[in-house]
Amino acid sequence: MRVAFVGKGGAGKSSLAGAFARLLARTGERVLALDSDPMPGLAFALGTPGSDAGLPDDVVEEYEEDGRRRYRLRAGLTGSGVIERYAVQGPDGVRFLQLGKARGPRWDNTPAHFGFQRVLDDLPGEGWSIVGDLPGGTRQPFMTWGRYASTFLVVVEPGPASLLTGRRLTRLAAMAGSPRVLAVANKVHGSDDARRVAEGTGLPVVGAVPFDPGVAAAARAGVPLLDQAPDGPAAAAVRCLVEALRSREAA
Amino acid sequence: MLGQLEQPGGIIVADFEAGLGTVLRLGDTPVDVVVVVVEPTAASLEVGRRAAESVTLAGLGRVVVVANRVRDDADEQRVRAAFPSCEVAVVPEDEAVVTAERQGVAPLDAAPDAPAVGALAGLATRLLRAQAA
Repeated sequence: MRVAFVGKGGAGKSSLAGAFARLLARTGERVLALDSDPMPGLAFALGTPGSDAGLPDDVVEEYEEDGRRRYRLRAGLTGSGVIERYAVQGPDGVRFLQLGKARGPRWDNTPAHFGFQRVLDDLPGEGWSIVGDLPGGTRQPFMTWGRYASTFLVVVEPGPASLLTGRRLTRLAAMAGSPRVLAVANKVHGSDDARRVAEGTGLPVVGAVPFDPGVAAAARAGVPLLDQAPDGPAAAAVRCLVEALRSREAA
Repeated sequence: MLGQLEQPGGIIVADFEAGLGTVLRLGDTPVDVVVVVVEPTAASLEVGRRAAESVTLAGLGRVVVVANRVRDDADEQRVRAAFPSCEVAVVPEDEAVVTAERQGVAPLDAAPDAPAVGALAGLATRLLRAQAA
């Protein structure tokens, strides 16, 4: 399974992606969680130790092509090798790899940025499930940062701004070779909200996560949802989402 | 474009993309105030700290922190502790704002007397006074 969580900023991508990755790992799958956002987020939701560290600059080497500077993984290094070496161990056996986090006004991550992208181009296949958390908005998902995904989960709140982002992502997906794109309605207050998300985005809604005070409590405490409110309605809904995606994969 | 908009008596309010990439490219055109909006969650406070630090180091403008969706004193203290040297404006969690956003209506139109709207009006007044001083 290769899944990327996308949507408007604040829709709940990181919280859901972190819980999803851990619950998927609990089914016995070998899970790699990828955080492509230069701002911290997924590490909190997963419960991995906080760190800014991404890939070291020397994972890539520069070369010239048609007079332009380009980057590739250094000789002898593969995407799988990078993951073995640099992905950190998270709860439930999830491996976690992140783009290095932004710090300071003149932050330059050019080598690490390209290194991360080269790893995305060469992710391990057989035996791994990939769960990616992308930055909010429409700029990146279907270009370089999300191209590894076979399924995009658009996290949508039942409000006009979030629905609009969902519609735009749907259109962009169609222009990008139509990968499988599904909606996850988040912070819903009733079945009517899930219907609004379906109608507002034009996407099949594969999961509906109810509004759950446990999510806010976890975020305030900086604790993963699965540790703060494992028996709450939001965690239960993410379990259903994992099962729904696994069933689709198996079909 | 932002640089060309400035004119005497005019006020520009810009809503930036999440993160730091866009705001830091303002480098050559500093602004009067950079409002860093945070929620009292661990991730949001961490992102806000980085934003405030970067804006300050880059000399972009005075940082004012807006603590949004504050429920209680503990929330407010969490934000103040994260930004000990910044001015902090508190906007309470307000169901009227949630409802307005779900309806696609500006909170100022839907609920002009709501506590969150009042807090933002107070912030606007403070910023204008500081500008005039």
